[in-house]
Amino acid sequence: MLFKISWRNIWRSRTRSAVVISSIAVGVWALSFVLSFSNGLIYTFIQNAIRDQYSHIQIHHPKFPEDKNNKHYIENADSILSSIKQIPEIEAATSRVITTGMLSTSHGARGVQVMGVRAKSESSVTKFNQKIVEGSYFIAGKKNQIIISRRLAEKLKVKLRSRMVLTFQDTKGEITAAAFRIGGLYSSGNMIIDESLVYVNDKDLAKSIIIVESNNNNLDVAHEFAIYLKDSDNTALIKDKLKKQYPELLIEDYYDLSPDVELYETQINTSNSIIIIIFMLALIFGIINTMLMAVLERYRELGMLMAIGMNKAKIFFMIVLETFLLSAVAAPIGLGIGILTVYLLQDKGIDLSAFSKGLERFGMETTIYPAMDIELYVQISIAVFITALLASIYPARKAVKLQPVEALHKI
Amino acid sequence: MSIIKANSITKTYNPNTIPVHALRGVNLTINKGEFTAIVGPSGSGKTTLLNIIGGLDRPTSGTIQVDGQNVSELSDNQLIDFRQKKIGFVFQSYNLIPVLTVSENTEFVMLLQKRSKEEREKRVAELLHAVDLNDKKDKRPSQLSGGQQQRVAVARALASKPTFVLADEPTANLDSASASNLLDIMEKLNREEHITFVFSTHDQRVIDRARRVVTLVDGAIDSDVTRD
Repeated sequence: MLFKISWRNIWRSRTRSAVVISSIAVGVWALSFVLSFSNGLIYTFIQNAIRDQYSHIQIHHPKFPEDKNNKHYIENADSILSSIKQIPEIEAATSRVITTGMLSTSHGARGVQVMGVRAKSESSVTKFNQKIVEGSYFIAGKKNQIIISRRLAEKLKVKLRSRMVLTFQDTKGEITAAAFRIGGLYSSGNMIIDESLVYVNDKDLAKSIIIVESNNNNLDVAHEFAIYLKDSDNTALIKDKLKKQYPELLIEDYYDLSPDVELYETQINTSNSIIIIIFMLALIFGIINTMLMAVLERYRELGMLMAIGMNKAKIFFMIVLETFLLSAVAAPIGLGIGILTVYLLQDKGIDLSAFSKGLERFGMETTIYPAMDIELYVQISIAVFITALLASIYPARKAVKLQPVEALHKI
Repeated sequence: MSIIKANSITKTYNPNTIPVHALRGVNLTINKGEFTAIVGPSGSGKTTLLNIIGGLDRPTSGTIQVDGQNVSELSDNQLIDFRQKKIGFVFQSYNLIPVLTVSENTEFVMLLQKRSKEEREKRVAELLHAVDLNDKKDKRPSQLSGGQQQRVAVARALASKPTFVLADEPTANLDSASASNLLDIMEKLNREEHITFVFSTHDQRVIDRARRVVTLVDGAIDSDVTRD
């Protein structure tokens, strides 16, 4: 009966209820959109960081990450790589020869990190081949190709097929140099990467820098293995597996490699909570106002209910229930529109290219794909109902404090 | 058998500023089965007396006993419980719950008392028959005339089988035909089912029908006439 009364009471003042329901619904919609947007921003950032830079897992010589000296290489790269690729959870894996060097053209020189990649497996791990915007990706059999970013090409005033000289130290510490010809230009969407990374074939690079004493110039070496998993959730599992398999090597996942990824993940939870609290504060006063009006308007009726024997607990509960029902009508509407909005935008994305310069500088994509998970919808629903309950306390207290004899004679 | 016993009831409003003495030592006993009107001009204290008898207000001094129980000693929540069980109320206006139908309004107090569905349905049918509103049982109060609304209020007041019914100016907003019809019903219930009615009124139509008329003037009983 209380439920029936409360439910019907909501619809007594249709306009007022419609206004408060709309305001809650719009609030919920806005909240779900803002959260899915910030989620998408961070999610895209993390996914891109994994895809482009860190992969899920990387393997190095234990001393390599520390001083980046190219003498800390891993031998027998081919056989390690093929045995890694046997693991069923792994989508793709590749190995790299890495060094730092000086890129010189007739217009100037620039310090860069030189990535010696296996053309085929690199593209399956990082999709690097899709980032080529001019020229072509590595052509099989062609010697000394180099791929640099378009941004860097503009800075160095070079074009496709320009010659450039890379100078670096070999593993003995001797200065050595090799000439390369630009085969393609890439654009990663990340300014930091664009300006600092150049790509060559691993064998071309190994030939110049690796002096293998033990094994008569065998160039079957790597400084880095990058592993991309089919499912991110398996990262810890595969990491452990590889640690057992290669106890002498350093196995790191993307959290180890990039603490900022973890920071972003925690950051997003904090910022979501703050946004939710701000939303609740904005909502709470709107609901209090409406319910207070509903109580004051029904002062005599409430007095009559108390006179005929409805106790204070029931009156209190009735007002709380009315508030709760209002939000129970509004929240699903808001969530529904929110889910629809996210659904419509999650494939198309929101194009922020107008602000792309700033985003690129932070290594972020210019198109954001809003992402929402069930947990967030649950959080929003709980937040709305807690807000409704908190907002109903004051009007409900006001209702039970009335004296029936005064209320009945109020005009 | 006395069901209401008021002993030296006084009620003073604003005792600390400008005191208004609404009741000045009222002694009144009402027996089972009475059909009594408390009358008097505006400001004579009749509504105050009715509120005190009904446990809606507390006297400044004096005691009030209903069914042998001292009402003045009850806490607010006990008073609500007391009113729910012992008293049926009919007010001048704002009597019914606007969002409930006629039968739901009638049933309401029984629901508060957690009576069984079967008992509630039986009682509602009985009462709506008694107040001649069977055909309106699914209507909302706003779809009824003033007289019909007051008849629903009477049905609701009787639903919990109270010790007595308190009616505060029940005919004030009714036309003659409706008032007469309402009084007929109440008289019939009084005569046939021995339900005690206490009215506060200054409506001559009610006074004419009352078998006992207690007249208040300036917060004191001026006359108490019983007619046969």
